[in-house]
Amino acid sequence: MTASPGAFSDSTRTIIVGVADYKISTDPMTAISTFALGSCLGVTFYDERRQIGGLLHAMLPTANLHEGRKIREAMFLDTGIPKILTAMVRAGAKKSDLRCKVFGGAQLMSTDSFFRIGSKNIDMFYRLSQELDLDVVAWEVSGRVNRTIRLDNQSGDVVVKVPSKPEFIR
Amino acid sequence: MKAATDLQTVVEMTRSIPCAPAILPKLLKLAEGSSADIGELEMLISLDTGLATSVIRTANSAFFASAQRCDNIADAILRLGSKVLYRLAATTLTGRWLVHPVRGYGWEPGDLCRHSLCVAICAETFARSMRLADASTAYTAGLIHDLGKFALAYANFSALDDIASRVPDEFATWQEAELAVLGFDSAQVTKALLENWGFPQMFISVGFHYPSPSGAPEADRALVTLIHAAKHVATQLGYGVGVDGFYYEPDEAALREAGFSEAEMDAAVPEIVSTIQRFISPRGEINFA
Repeated sequence: MTASPGAFSDSTRTIIVGVADYKISTDPMTAISTFALGSCLGVTFYDERRQIGGLLHAMLPTANLHEGRKIREAMFLDTGIPKILTAMVRAGAKKSDLRCKVFGGAQLMSTDSFFRIGSKNIDMFYRLSQELDLDVVAWEVSGRVNRTIRLDNQSGDVVVKVPSKPEFIR
Repeated sequence: MKAATDLQTVVEMTRSIPCAPAILPKLLKLAEGSSADIGELEMLISLDTGLATSVIRTANSAFFASAQRCDNIADAILRLGSKVLYRLAATTLTGRWLVHPVRGYGWEPGDLCRHSLCVAICAETFARSMRLADASTAYTAGLIHDLGKFALAYANFSALDDIASRVPDEFATWQEAELAVLGFDSAQVTKALLENWGFPQMFISVGFHYPSPSGAPEADRALVTLIHAAKHVATQLGYGVGVDGFYYEPDEAALREAGFSEAEMDAAVPEIVSTIQRFISPRGEINFA
């Protein structure tokens, strides 16, 4: 994509993903966006050949701590990623053609250890990416920034916005 | 708008903003009593057209409505009860104030309101599960904890850019940078505003001490620590977090002393997220009622 980051066409429809949710689109004229990731992870999947994209906004690394309770699978990385992968394949994407990008996981100071969701999420995503053999082509994680992301379903580009800074593409 | 240069000017400028939550302390006092004076509550609510409308609308909402329509404030107060009424007033008054467009902290319009609401919901959830404070009090303390930052942004402090550019290279936390660059910090502004409006001491303690609850007076420390914990979780959830958001240090000693554990916080997150999503849409629109 050579246009400026914000240059989505007027006819582009934007699908919004909330916390603990995922969305998939088979329409190239859509963008899939999620706001304010904080320490959550936003994981995009894109099948370029078929122009099918998906975005997961997961809050916590694992559903293990919540065993026995009714959970929202997309809230946790270890249940959310398999869920969105299955849905993408069902929508027509081919797993071997999926490229993955990961965003978010903001953290406090490196010395802090109390309730570090960001680093735990990043560790869990790394583990899952190995186990599930994901083709991860971009890591825009960690740091002390709150990221908003938008997946362009025509190109697979992801526009990243952080407070007080210009948008950029990954 | 002219730019302020000192704490007193910030407080003075902020006082002129319409819809300041100045009647909130009076409402708190009335609503917390077991036998709230309906006439006095009615008079206070009637002073604020927007609040009066919200009260009647909520009393007639699907959740509260009965066969008979409620078309006056006195009936609406009886139907809602003092706890719901107070929560509604706190959210309406504080939220409306916090959505004024301001420059600073990299906020998008409404961001501080979204973040404060998120802190309030985290605080309310922890208050129930940890029994450290009354849930309504915790909710309100969450809403007002960072009013000083809003005041600084409203006062058009050009020094905010200077702070942003010097964190993290020169200062580890945003508060340290505020003290060095401004000569005071946003917690002092929050304290001055809340004192000015006559808020009870425990809320003033929250505004001033929440960044480091270990330094709070013994009597208020449980509530202050609760807000510190709520802020810690809310920041990581990301709603409305500006450029300053991740530049603070958790007071681990205070958190552990109050009984917080990682497992406790982790377990609370699903409920917190579900509650937040009732008030904030995926697009970030805030539903106060």
